Formats: sequence, structure tokens, C-alpha cells
Amino acid sequence: MSETTEIVRASLAKRYARERRFRLLGLASVMASAAFLVLLLGNILTKAWPAFTTTYVKIDVPLTPEVLRLPDAPDSEAIASARYGRAVKQAMRDLFPDVSSRSEKRALYQTVSAQAEFTVKDAVIANPELIGTTHSLWVLADDDLDTYRKSKSLQAVPEEDRRFKDFQVTWLEELSAQNRIKTSFNWVFFERGDSREPELAGIRGALAGSFYTLIVTLALSFPIGVAAAIYLESFAPRNRLTDLIEVNINNLAAVPSIVFGLLGVAVFINFLHLPRSAPLVGGVVLSLMTLPTIIIASRAAIKSVPPSIADAALGLGASRMQAVMHHVLPLAMPGILTGTIIGMAQALGETAPLLMIGMVAFIVDVPTGITDPATVLPVQVYLWSDSPERAFTERTSAAIVVLLVFLILMNAFAVYLRKRFERSW
Amino acid sequence: MDNLNLPQHTSHRYNEELEDVRNRVLQMGGLVEQQVTNGLKALLEFDSELGEQVLNADHQINAMEVEIDELCTQVLARRQPAASDLRLVVMVIKTITDLERIGDEAEKLGRVSVSLSSQSRRPAYYAELRHLGEHVKAVLRDTLDAFARMDVDAALRTAKQDGDIDREYDSLSRLLISHMMEDPREVRNILEVSWCARALERIGDHANNICEYVVYLVHGKDIRHTQSRSE
Amino acid sequence: MNSFTDAALPATDSTATTKEAPDLDAQLAKFTGTVGNVRVDNAKMSMTGVDVHYGDAQAIHNVDLDLGKNEVMAMIGPSGCGKSTFLRCLNRMNDTIESCKVAGSLTLDGEDIYERNQDVVLLRARVGIVFQKPNPFPKSIYDNVAYGPRIHGLAASKSELDDIVEQSLKRASLWSEVADRLDNPGTGLSGGQQQRLCIARTIAVSPEVILMDEPCSALDPIATAKIEELIDELGKNYTIAIVTHSMQQAARVSDRTAYFHLGRLVEVGVTNDIFTNPTHQLTENYITGRFG
Repeated sequence: MSETTEIVRASLAKRYARERRFRLLGLASVMASAAFLVLLLGNILTKAWPAFTTTYVKIDVPLTPEVLRLPDAPDSEAIASARYGRAVKQAMRDLFPDVSSRSEKRALYQTVSAQAEFTVKDAVIANPELIGTTHSLWVLADDDLDTYRKSKSLQAVPEEDRRFKDFQVTWLEELSAQNRIKTSFNWVFFERGDSREPELAGIRGALAGSFYTLIVTLALSFPIGVAAAIYLESFAPRNRLTDLIEVNINNLAAVPSIVFGLLGVAVFINFLHLPRSAPLVGGVVLSLMTLPTIIIASRAAIKSVPPSIADAALGLGASRMQAVMHHVLPLAMPGILTGTIIGMAQALGETAPLLMIGMVAFIVDVPTGITDPATVLPVQVYLWSDSPERAFTERTSAAIVVLLVFLILMNAFAVYLRKRFERSW
Repeated sequence: MDNLNLPQHTSHRYNEELEDVRNRVLQMGGLVEQQVTNGLKALLEFDSELGEQVLNADHQINAMEVEIDELCTQVLARRQPAASDLRLVVMVIKTITDLERIGDEAEKLGRVSVSLSSQSRRPAYYAELRHLGEHVKAVLRDTLDAFARMDVDAALRTAKQDGDIDREYDSLSRLLISHMMEDPREVRNILEVSWCARALERIGDHANNICEYVVYLVHGKDIRHTQSRSE
Repeated sequence: MNSFTDAALPATDSTATTKEAPDLDAQLAKFTGTVGNVRVDNAKMSMTGVDVHYGDAQAIHNVDLDLGKNEVMAMIGPSGCGKSTFLRCLNRMNDTIESCKVAGSLTLDGEDIYERNQDVVLLRARVGIVFQKPNPFPKSIYDNVAYGPRIHGLAASKSELDDIVEQSLKRASLWSEVADRLDNPGTGLSGGQQQRLCIARTIAVSPEVILMDEPCSALDPIATAKIEELIDELGKNYTIAIVTHSMQQAARVSDRTAYFHLGRLVEVGVTNDIFTNPTHQLTENYITGRFG
């Protein structure tokens, strides 16, 4: 056996031990991050879970003209302006005729949501023949009742520490006994905009706001970013100016996002007088923030295309433009798209610059265009997390879940695009 | 290859192989020269023993030709020589053929000397070969020198002497014919002498060829069938 | 002539030359101008006094050379001798390298190809190039060949384009191997087939001159033999300039050979002469494997 063999053999055990240690370390870090992720997701999901269901109460609404204060032979305008609130209150009083004190009566009326009278109104307008009858209707329960029903922990809390008092609990039990309580999927959460009433608060507005904002961001940053990347990679001369531009782009990627918000206020709102709180301005600001990411990712993708491909095209007499458009860009597309979607995901999760341009306002209406006032998902999360009502806590988590699902969908789309466009060379 | 002033090959093995080929050719040349010297000596001094020796040595030359041929084939196959190397190999292949032929001619001289020993009396006229023989020997030596030093000038000078040898052979032939006419009884004997003269002349021709190869190797120009014949 | 004390080398593949750096001056001292006849009677391309600089480094020094019509010209020389650089000047592929400056006169059929109003796109359609590494587009075999005719609008109809593709593949001796799988990706072919595909792609635009930059350096001997056979065949109709590291290849395929050394054109001559009896000492040394 040669000397080398001896020396190598002596060091082998040490080398393998080092490798094992390194592998264990790697495994440990992966486990740690996985644990944190599970913890975070578990926390959010358990908190968010109750928000996806809601409670309905069945009430028998006396739709007599006296209660509704309707004239004889009412026209549609009269029906629209009838006093449905009185009917709901009457229905509640009919359910619990024993309740007499003013405060208890107020509590009784608040057992159902303020939305209830609109539910009744909609039913009557849809079917005016109901006038004069007593109509059974499922209406949304108040958030206090809803939260109490869903939360075991809340039921264990002493009466003085909760909003839902014991006499209300007895009403709840009575309603349950009469099969007048049901739980169903919380469509309201997905169909409505923001509200001061937790049971009426939905994320539709924030979703639409995010959607319009991202559309604006994508429409601006993708073409501009890709064009800039192509120019810098394939056309720009290498000189001090392009070096300076390159350094600045890299720096821009690291600028705190709030700075972009300040810029947005100064330029787009104060100077250009674009509407406040609008996805248009939000999208422009976010695309400023996303551009460096897209440019850097696109340049890397373009750089990774072997120059021999462009050479081949040039050698055949393709112009520089044709070589880039026909060959380099298609091959770089998977990388560009991945970078773009990472940038968009960043934009989706961005809050700070949008606070600056007023997208933090309380907006009930679902926006229908890029100039309507709107808010976005992360801002909605921020707003709700500030609200005192317990029901908003679960809605905050639910909004986070929706945001995460949105992100996962975007990333899945990125993977799909990459697989679709990927070509070997 | 000193006279070509070329640096060494990048491959040392290749260098050695070419060097080996050249050395063997020189060795073969030495052997051939020895054979010619011995054959002539055996003839002029009626030394049948030496003649016998010449006959026996010829197979060595043949063996060397085969051996060098083989080496050259290997170099061609493995090194794909170009330019001067290619010319060297081609030239060597041709040179050894000529050397082998010279060996055959020397063998002829040896055979004649052996056959003479069976005759009772010393035949006349062989002394006439001495001058031509010495001249051919000198040309052969110069040729091999020119080859060893790759000396074009020497080769050209030597090649020119081929004409002298031819003229010498012609006058010797005329002399022998006049002897035959004077003394018809000696015709058979004189014919033998004539054949030997013919063999010597052939050796001169082969030496001339080798000189031309040397010129080809150094200058890359084929001078065969050009000025040497026009002279 | 330039001063030969300037020993600057182009930055490209100079590993082989760095070893000989000490006797560079000695080698340059042996150079006193191109040996052999650089001009031919029926020149397709004619280069006079070509200098190429990469930034401050001069890669080509005052080269004169003609490419005859339907002639195969081989350019040989040690790494970094400027032969590839010179080749790429012939269809202005060097334009893509910013620091590269070409001076001197280069003409194609008497027109200066570096003239300001000379269109590079048109020039490259007339002077095609095949690269060292087979570089088919990651598209189908058909699209690879059809790309050139498409961008130049050479085919009026689909059937015409089909015809061009078939003819080009046939001329590149690839048709029989790929006729039934034209829709397969070109990158799925073997190395030799890929290179023939690249040649077919180049022929498809019917160039007048084809430049080949070490077209066989990535191929095995059989694929190489096929390409060489192809070059023989193409040499009848095209003017071909081929840069190669294999002297045997140059000897096999070319009509004339040019030997470059340190950016100078040392010797030009009929291939038979160059390989049996080169005139210049540097050529002799290179061809016989006596470098340095």
C-alpha cells in the first residue's frame, strides 16, 4: 500500500464526518423554516376558519301595509321607500313577546344584522304580492351572536367580559330550539365591500382594488421593463452612461417602498392631479417599484441565452431586432415571466406606498374601474387588524388567507408559463 | 536535418522516429558501400572468398530495406508528416530502393568473382574495370555524404559526375569490343567483363537518383528527368 | 508594414501562444511580408491592407488576400493568430463586438463591404457563415432551414418554401436522414447532423460566399468526413473560406491555403505546395509540427 493511500485513508473519516455535519445542518435549517411556516399557516388558518361561515336567523316578517306604513294600492316607488325596519322589529317582538325593557328591546333588535331590513325589502320588491302576508325569511345574524356561537372559548368567558350577554344567550337557545338558527357559507365575505359591521364586511372591494392595481402595474411595468432590459442587453453601447444606469437600476430595487409612495403623492396626485385612492395611481407607483425587479430578472434571462443563437440569426442576415425578437426573447421568456410574476407578487403584497397615496380610505363600494376609489388586500388586512370587534380578527386572518391563495395562484401560473415556454438548446 | 535548419518537433517521439529512419538509411548506405568496395576488390584481385562474403551479405541489405520501409509506413500512418518531413519519408522510401538495387549490382560483381575462381587461369581484361570502379565508388561515397549532410551543392556536383561515368563506360565498352574483334577466343571472357562494367555503370545511375532525391528533399523540387538528362 | 515590435495579441484563445511569448520577437523578425501570390484572376472577394484592432490591441496586421470564385480557401495558424477574426471581417460579424475596429479595403464583387451605405443584412445574406459549435435554433428542422428565406422573403408561397428547404437539406446531404421528421426539433439531431443543418440553413438563403469557422472542431471523425465531403461538393458552386485547426483538414478540403501567424498573413499558396513544400520557415514549422 502506497504512502498516499495511507494518508488519504487517515483523512477519510474526518472528511465524511464533516460532510455529515454539513448535511445535518442543512436539514436542520430546512426543518426550522418548515416549522415556522407550518406554525404561521396553522395560526392563520385556524383563526380564519370561522370567518368562512356565518349564522342566519329565520324570522316571520309581518308584511302588512300598517307595519310597512304603505298606502293602499302602492306604486313601486312607495314599495321601495316602505318602512321595512319596522317590520323586522315587529317580527323580533313577535318572536319574543316577553321582552319589555327598552335596553333589552334594543338588544333584541340587534340580534339580527342591520342588513335584515334590506333583505326583506329585496324580497318584497322582487315579489310585491307578499304585501299583506306574513313571510318567513332567513336573515343575517348579528356578528356578536355569530361569534358567540362559533367560539367555544368565548362561551366560557364570564358574562361581564363579553358583549353577548346571558339573556341574549337564552334567546339564542330558544331560537335554536325552534330551528330558527342555521350556519352557512359566508358568501357575504366574498360578495361585499368593506363595512363597519363585521358581519357585512367583505373583501370583494379589496380584491377588485388589488386586481385593478395589478393590471395597471403589469400593463406598465412588463412592457417597459422588458423593453429596457432588451435595450440594455442587446443594443446599448457599453459606456459610462449605461454603467451608471445599471447601478441605478440595481439601487432602485433596494429603495424602501414608502419612498415610491411619497413620490406618487408628490408627482401623480399633487402635480398631475390624478384621483386619490385610485388603482390607477397605486398601479403606477407599484410599477415604479416593480420595474427594477423585472429589468434585472429580464436582463439575467436574456444574458443566459447562448450568444451563438443570436449569432446564427445575424449570420443569416437577420437584423439585430429580428435576432432578438425571433430568437433571444422567446428563449428568455420563461425567465422574464418568472421575474415579472415575482415582481407582481411583491406588488400584490405591498402596503406602505399605497398608504401614502390614500388607498387606505374606508371604501364600501366595490370599485368598477381603475379610477374608482379602492383599497387593496394588504391594506384591507391592515385596516381590519386595527378594528376592535372580535369578528374582524377572524376576517383579518381570512383576508390573509385570500391573499396567500392569490399569491399561490400567481406562482402556479408562473410555473405553468415557464413549463410552457421552456425550450432546450 | 541539420542542414535544413529546422527546430525540433513539438513531439520528441516523432523527432526520434525520423532520426531513427535517417540513421538506418545511413547504416544501410554504409553497408551497400562496403558491398560495392568488396565486390570490386574481389573482382580485381580474384579473391573468391571475398566474393563469397559479398554474396552472403546481400540478404542483410534486403532485410534493412524491408525494415526501413516498415518504419516509413508507420511514420506515414501515425504522424501524417507534411512538408519537409513528408519529403524526407518519401525520399527515404525511394532511396532505399536504389540502395537495394546497388546492393544487387554489388552482388553481381561478387558472383562473377566467385565464378572466376573455378577457371584455371587468370582471365585478362579485368584490370580495365579498375578505373571505372574507383570512379563509381567515389561517386557513391560522395552521394552518401551528400545524403548524410543533406548537402544540395554536393548532391548536384555528384549528380553531374554521372555523365562522366557514362562516358567512361562508353569508352570502356568500345575498348572491350575492339578486344573482342582482335581476339575472338576471349569473347566469352570479355562479355563477363562487360557485364561487370554495366553493373558499375548502373550503380552510378542509382547514386545519381539518390542525389536527385536529396535535392528534392531540401528544395522540394523534383529535378528528375530535367536538367540531369539534358546535359 | 507595421512595426513588428508591437507584440500585442488579440485577447481571444491565446493559451497556446502565451508559452512562446519570450521568442515572439524572434518569430516576428522572420516575417518580412506575405509569401506567395495573394491575388487571383477571378477574385470573388478581395482584401487589401486589412488591419483589425480590439481596443488597443491589434489582431490583424495589413493583410492582403483574394478569395477566388468557387474556390475553397483554408486559413490555418496557431491559436490567436487572427484567422477567425479575419474570417469574421468578411461578413462583418465583428460588428457585434464593440471594441473591434476594421480598417483597409474589403470588397465583394468589387463593392466595399465596409462602405457606409453597404447594408449589413444584405451582405450577410450574400456571405453566409457556419460557426464552430453547431448552433441550430431551438425550433423544428424545417423552421431552422426556412428561417433565412422567411426573413428575406425569398419564397412567395408555402410550396416554394418547402422546395427551398428540401433543396437546401439535399445539398447539405441531410435530406435522407431527416426527410420524415422535419417537424422534430433541430436540437435533437446528432452533432454532425446539427452542423449539416446549420450548413443547410446557410445555403437556404443562396449566399455567394460561405464562411466556416472551424466547422468540425466539435465533431467526431465520421461526421467530420461527411462535412468535408460536403465542402468538396459545395466548392463547385460557392466560394468557401474555412478556418480550421486541423492541418489535415485544410490539406484535404482546400484549393488554396493561407497561413496566419501573430496577426500576419505569412504565406498563401496552392494547398498542394503549402503541404509538400512551403516557402516560409514559419509555415514549415507549423505544418510539420515544429512550433517554437
